[in-house]
Amino acid sequence: MSEFILNLIHRPELVPEYIDTGAQEGKSEELSKREVVSESLDIFRLQQQIAHDQGLKTTIQMTYPSLFSDEACELARADHDAFGDEIGHTFLGLNSREFREKYGRRDPAIWLYTMEDKRRIVDDSFERFREVFGFYPTSTGSYFMDAELVRYIKERYPEVEIAVATCFEEGPKVFRHANNSWYTIMDGSPWCPWVPSKKNIHAIADSQEDDIGIVAVPHLSRDLLAIMDNAGDMWGTHPQNIIRGLNYEGDRLPYMYNIVDQYRVLRDQNDGYSYNLVYVGPGWMGKAGRWEAPYRVLKKSYEDFLAYYGDLKRDGEVVDMTMTEYARWHRAHRERSGPEIALWKDIAFGTKNQAFWYADSRFRVQVDLKMGGAITDLRPYASKLERPVGAGTDANQDASYPFVVQSRYRAGPFVHYAGEGAIKSCKARFGDEEIDLSSCRTLGRVHRRGSVRVLEVKPVEVEFHGLTATLGTEYVFEPNTGDIVIVRRLLGLSDANAVVELDEFFTGCWGTTEYPEDMRGCSLTLRSGDGAEESLPYEYLSRSLATDNVELVSAVFPMVQTRVSLRPINGDASVGTRRGYCEEGYSFAPNLKIGVTASLRAGEELVTCLKVERA
Amino acid sequence: MPQGRTGVINYRCPHCLFRAIDYDLLFDREVGAFYCRRCNWEGDEREILTLYAVYKTQYKDMLRRWTIDEIRDKDESDWDTPAR
Repeated sequence: MSEFILNLIHRPELVPEYIDTGAQEGKSEELSKREVVSESLDIFRLQQQIAHDQGLKTTIQMTYPSLFSDEACELARADHDAFGDEIGHTFLGLNSREFREKYGRRDPAIWLYTMEDKRRIVDDSFERFREVFGFYPTSTGSYFMDAELVRYIKERYPEVEIAVATCFEEGPKVFRHANNSWYTIMDGSPWCPWVPSKKNIHAIADSQEDDIGIVAVPHLSRDLLAIMDNAGDMWGTHPQNIIRGLNYEGDRLPYMYNIVDQYRVLRDQNDGYSYNLVYVGPGWMGKAGRWEAPYRVLKKSYEDFLAYYGDLKRDGEVVDMTMTEYARWHRAHRERSGPEIALWKDIAFGTKNQAFWYADSRFRVQVDLKMGGAITDLRPYASKLERPVGAGTDANQDASYPFVVQSRYRAGPFVHYAGEGAIKSCKARFGDEEIDLSSCRTLGRVHRRGSVRVLEVKPVEVEFHGLTATLGTEYVFEPNTGDIVIVRRLLGLSDANAVVELDEFFTGCWGTTEYPEDMRGCSLTLRSGDGAEESLPYEYLSRSLATDNVELVSAVFPMVQTRVSLRPINGDASVGTRRGYCEEGYSFAPNLKIGVTASLRAGEELVTCLKVERA
Repeated sequence: MPQGRTGVINYRCPHCLFRAIDYDLLFDREVGAFYCRRCNWEGDEREILTLYAVYKTQYKDMLRRWTIDEIRDKDESDWDTPAR
């Protein structure tokens, strides 16, 4: 199979976020001015025409106000009849005079309403859709669709098969980028289409019983390396993203094609399959320009962008589908629980930096090859954490799936005054020296052994005073087990008689943002080979436990209902045994740490299993 | 002092941009300069464009068009062993 699939989505938004500048400045409360509506529909009409000129079909997502516009509905019907476009539904662009008069609410985002309001809005807009078009929509979406909302939709309208369900890594970085004002805080989903769990939309379903009943797609396809340290709204399959990030010159945006082509390369890693989602509203293409770009550049960027997909389609390199067509294709061709992988290479900054991503029903893992192949983000889907969002809930606007490792929000490698940051890495020790492999920049390759996905990390040279050690690493992912087997091979030593200690460790915490959360309630447990077990409740007291013969060392994060453990799984070391330890952390370094250490000679290896499971 | 107004072009504060914040500038027609309401940056269009150019230096491949094979082969020559 070799399928690169495009979902192209337009929406006739009658009150786009950016056109009505008067309203933005607080000068006008009139949110349905005729000139705004007229310009918005003109832009929608133009976007549709650009797609059709390239022979591409679209999914037209009708907003709530557009369902009350005869002109918008007629446009949708005409394009459905002429080009086979799907008429779908969206919860974006809710705000309008009709909406505000009916609900007395101003929130623009469906997931931020109370559950009672969500039900009313779903019923109201789906029934209005049927009244207008004579059928219920089979696709819907928003920037975020919480599991509670989707479960309700499926219960009431089982016809729905697919939704734009999250905006990939649109979390604290995007919030900050928008001057701490853009409340789309939703880090933690897969970057590619998935079947969500009934319990949490971010998490991939682990069974038929857990299947929420729709295929979820991310809002835009993102640059999987750039978004690790940049706001995602500058790095996606949308010309405006690229213009916003100033990653262009004049009217030339080569990055726009490069990101598409890197997604095409990802077919090599996922059984010949890859996916792009392009989803643009009308607001960014207004006559007044957007960011620093004039209308001419905006229009040309979209024409060029879709012309590229058009060329690919004519060459048989991309298949354009409507959303519902894609949902059916996904159900027929992809495993419900994954895995999906992506080894992404830098195509923007002129470096050799790479990032590896893995997602299945147990976790989403990010490996930063620039940090020596350390795990720098880990979202424990195994817990299927029920975390309702919206008014009246504890999480409210914070719709992210919590992490147990996040090396940019929570420091990562030791770079500051005291303590350690959140990272899953390995340290090498010789004499009094200690080197974290996260300081050894490297590269990765992916392989497949049967069902197992392997990330091979290029060996690095660790330089001690008087000794050089060559270390190789392999991450072995057995899909949907929660296990990552980590193989560290001491491939060579400049002194054949030397002994190097390796410390395979996990430093974790929990949260969704840069700021620390309360760690009280977490616990650490150390089990020795003789069956003895010791535990530590987390109290910020810097305590630790250790044993010379470890069977398992684990940490429990009850707030995320997750247990993370490390166990040695090879016993062929010639020097000593596998030691284990755990450390509690303290207020200046509010993390916990578990680790397994072993002393190795050249040619030996330390193999451990990092397990993530529901607790 | 006159009311600050947005210009024809929607310039963002270059200093805020450097710290990953989008913040629109206002124009003070009395001073003849743009200024930021969030931080203390103030300057004219030439200074804005100069700082934008500096911002873009992070994108060393900004104008490079990678072919699909170039992306696939990128960094492969750094390995001592062939791909499996």
